[in-house]
Amino acid sequence: MEFEFRLPDLGEGIAEAEIRNWLVEEGEQIAEHQPVVEVETDKALVELPAPKGGRILKHHHLEGAVVAVGDSLLTIDTENGNQERPPSYGIVGELPEAEEAAPPNKQTKTPTAPEPAGEVHALPSVRALAKELHVNLDKITGSGPERSITAEDVRAAADAAPKEPGEPKQSEEPEEPVPAAQERLPQQGIRRVIARKLLQSQQLTAFVTTMDEFDVTRLCNLKLREEPQLAERDLHLTFLPFFIKATQHALLEFPRFNARLDEQSNELIMQPDCHMGIAVDTDDGLMVPVLRDIATKSVIRLAEELQRLSEHARQRSIAREDLQGSTFTLTNFGSYGGHFATPIINYPNVAILGCGRIRERPWVVAGELAIRQILPLSLTFDHRVSDGAEASRFLSHIGRYLEDPGLLFIESV
Amino acid sequence: MPREPIAHFQIERLGILDARGEVDTELLPPLSDSQFLQLYELLQLTRLADERALSLQREGRLGTFPSSLGQEAAQVGSGFALARQDWVFPSFREIGVFLCLGYPLSTYLRYWMGDERGLLAPPELNIFPINIAVGTHLLHAAGAALGARYRKDPVVAVAYLGDGGTSKGDFHEALNMAGIYRLPLVAVCQNNQWAISVARNKQTAAATLAQKAIGYGIQGIQVDGNDVLAVYQATSEALERARGGGGPTFIECETYRMSDHTTADDARRYRDPAEVETWRDKDPLLRMQRFLERRGLWHEAEQRELEETQRRRLDAAVAEAEAMEPPQVEEMFRYTCHQLSSRQQQQLQECRDGSP
Amino acid sequence: MAVLNLVQAINQALQQALAADDRVLVFGEDVAADGGVFRATEGLLEQFGAERVFDTPLAESGIVGLAVGLAAYGLRPVAEIQFLGFTYSAIDQIYTHAARIRARSRGRYSCPLVVRTPYGGGIKAPELHEESSEALFCHMPGLKVVIPSTPSNAKGLLLAAIADPDPVIYLEPTRLYRLLKEEVPEEPYLTPLGQARIAQSGDQLTIIAWGSMLERTLKAAGDYPAEVIDLQTLSPFDRETVLASVRKTGRVLIVHEAPKTGGFGAELAATIAEEAIMALKAPILRVTGYDVVLPLPLLEEDNLPSAKRIAAAIEKLLRY
Repeated sequence: MEFEFRLPDLGEGIAEAEIRNWLVEEGEQIAEHQPVVEVETDKALVELPAPKGGRILKHHHLEGAVVAVGDSLLTIDTENGNQERPPSYGIVGELPEAEEAAPPNKQTKTPTAPEPAGEVHALPSVRALAKELHVNLDKITGSGPERSITAEDVRAAADAAPKEPGEPKQSEEPEEPVPAAQERLPQQGIRRVIARKLLQSQQLTAFVTTMDEFDVTRLCNLKLREEPQLAERDLHLTFLPFFIKATQHALLEFPRFNARLDEQSNELIMQPDCHMGIAVDTDDGLMVPVLRDIATKSVIRLAEELQRLSEHARQRSIAREDLQGSTFTLTNFGSYGGHFATPIINYPNVAILGCGRIRERPWVVAGELAIRQILPLSLTFDHRVSDGAEASRFLSHIGRYLEDPGLLFIESV
Repeated sequence: MPREPIAHFQIERLGILDARGEVDTELLPPLSDSQFLQLYELLQLTRLADERALSLQREGRLGTFPSSLGQEAAQVGSGFALARQDWVFPSFREIGVFLCLGYPLSTYLRYWMGDERGLLAPPELNIFPINIAVGTHLLHAAGAALGARYRKDPVVAVAYLGDGGTSKGDFHEALNMAGIYRLPLVAVCQNNQWAISVARNKQTAAATLAQKAIGYGIQGIQVDGNDVLAVYQATSEALERARGGGGPTFIECETYRMSDHTTADDARRYRDPAEVETWRDKDPLLRMQRFLERRGLWHEAEQRELEETQRRRLDAAVAEAEAMEPPQVEEMFRYTCHQLSSRQQQQLQECRDGSP
Repeated sequence: MAVLNLVQAINQALQQALAADDRVLVFGEDVAADGGVFRATEGLLEQFGAERVFDTPLAESGIVGLAVGLAAYGLRPVAEIQFLGFTYSAIDQIYTHAARIRARSRGRYSCPLVVRTPYGGGIKAPELHEESSEALFCHMPGLKVVIPSTPSNAKGLLLAAIADPDPVIYLEPTRLYRLLKEEVPEEPYLTPLGQARIAQSGDQLTIIAWGSMLERTLKAAGDYPAEVIDLQTLSPFDRETVLASVRKTGRVLIVHEAPKTGGFGAELAATIAEEAIMALKAPILRVTGYDVVLPLPLLEEDNLPSAKRIAAAIEKLLRY
């Protein structure tokens, strides 16, 4: 139903008003009492509310027009307006209304029945222990009530050769958490654990290796120059601290390689600090002790720590917590020989840098042949986290610090 | 032995001001002209406030609202008789009582906007929170009446209910106890003929609601609920009786719910519009207007001025209500009990953090 | 110190509360001249008069509603409902009103009432006289639920309940009314609400019980290295004491006579699983009444947790 909203008598003998400003558009839905227009009289600027709700069909005047009292301002279609009472249900409150009919039931995938792996009977605390020790519960027969797996069962499995359930292990681990300072690693079973971890890494990551060579002649000269001084302090300077520092700096530009992938939530968890795992070959097998907070340490300090580390490794006294918490790993196999390689990611890191042997090689420098010191680098990365182009750029970035050590100085933080 | 009647009862109906505005001068309450005017102003304010609330609801600025249209006299007549110290136990359709007692309108509106702070009565008023579980609050009034008597306070507990409330078990238990203990209690029943869609004659087989009092051994009276003077008079008498130790009274105000049960109801689904029309002539404001006119106390021009003043007052109340800061989640916890348990404190923190 | 049984301890608490605070009123069915059907209110009418100790008509909703009004007016009503099963008529007044007045009025009014009522089975009574539905009330925020288990904590807990600013449902284990006797200190004292009591210390398993089952649990726990916790207050319950014990022992048994499903043991078990799961060495076990309509006397003992069932559960847990 159409309703004409006419300029009302604004009182005080006013006969006309100028339309200053329409507050609503044609076609707009309005409510009763809603201000629809501003008009100006001799005395004041007045906002007029609509006496009825509905849809604005037409403005009858343009802004600036002078309108007499009684003239139509607007036509309102009240049929669809709030003039019509809303449907009443329920006596109280407001029920939400469906907008559209729900689509017909989609074909839902029937969930595939879980593999009948056999239920693992283990309490939450035991499961947490198993996870920490990287023990696969599926492989264990429980010795607890209802054939449940106990903490002892888990620890036994984490160590040496498989034992009969219930038999005491040879190297008994203490039940209580071990005090930090004097933790000694049990000698047995390490290789088992290492093997398991390496396999796990290759099963869980999408590993790819990119390789490149860099002219580190300047670096070699720098090292040669500084070595004697440090030797006076009984400090043996190797290339490793330089590799570590260069990598840490490059990670500032490429933090993805320092991160950790949360497979559950599919989120990349960025790690603010760089803790470098250093692959170390010991008589007992490969170990990866961790140098912490690389960003806060100089090359010299790193050299000191590495020196201490190799001493511990020789004495088989690396503490357990020094083997945890790396965000990136470096393997300096070049000290044994070797050029390029495909190192295995130290899971749950997302990348590992392998450093081959520095060799004198014929090289092209400014268009001419020269003898240069060439370092091969191999970067294995988790392709789920990064693509090849980015990985190559990261590797090049490390390389440029090693080619021109001065860059470390001017780009250092 | 012959069968003989062992008891007789009767129920009175009181009317003073009829629909035409004529009064029974013998029954006229001893009020001054200024008080008659006050009564009328309160009737008018109730009507305008109620209208405004409906309007706000339609504009989405107020939640579901139960209108009191047509029931102004029952609410104002009784409210006007109350003493400052009396305790009031409302149900949910007493906007006129709240206005009579000076309850801040902005606070009242807040309740219907969905905010418990609307029930935070000012310290000088003894108004219990609006009661939704029909009839259950009569017991609270009985308890307060008992407490007042124990403390020897000159307090009367006044409870409001509708015709539907008289069917509830707690109504029975409360009036029964009020009778036994001779409590200083007045129950004011706004019989507006409808409990949502159930008509009064489907609510009880009793001929009047007032006669239910007989069963409890207490006083009962029916009044013309659209006659503000009769309601006032009956309430005054009941209050005096209660204060004097004479026990409780049940007052049935016969009136009509001119509007829907609430803004989420459509009475056209179950009511004959002709019935509604018959009550238009019995309008409480109209008859009071006529009465005042005859006494030379009311004029057309003053009516306009009154409405304008009252509308401005309503505007201010609405503005104040809408300017209030929204409630904080902390309040949900804070008022659940005197002191939060450690678990509740933890949950409050989780609620603030948005954690599970 | 006098030796009192549980109902005498309650009587003493009421007497001391009435004497100390003139806001306290005691009422209910048959509580005045008759002194209460279990004599819990014996002698109170004579000592304090009919204005303060009075009978009500047979109207449970009315009794609680009256208490709500009295409490809102500023008094401290202690209303008796003759048996827990009869509170069902008053659930509306308890849940809709007593529990909510403070929140509804934003603190302008509060409801410091106590509803005391005999609860629990094992007394060979007809239907509705042996209910154990405490979990219902534990599900009502704004209410406190208190259950004594000995004469001495009955007195302290009731005095604390009367003094509490919030509404308290105080459930008295009928079976223990005259079964337990002990020395109870003469002077008034408060046993704080919301605190559990270690009834027996132990380090291999934690047993949580309350009310009527506490006595039975202690008997069954006997020489086992069990820590027995008497909850005393169910709502709010003493999480700290419970969790500390669970972390110490790693094994949990909960004993209640109420039906298993939705019983208060479920809340305890969920809380323990939520907050101490790493400490658990074994599943959380509950020994409870069955999910059946409460039987009449001839079968009632078959439904209640027996010492045998409790001991079997202890044995099972200790195997972990």
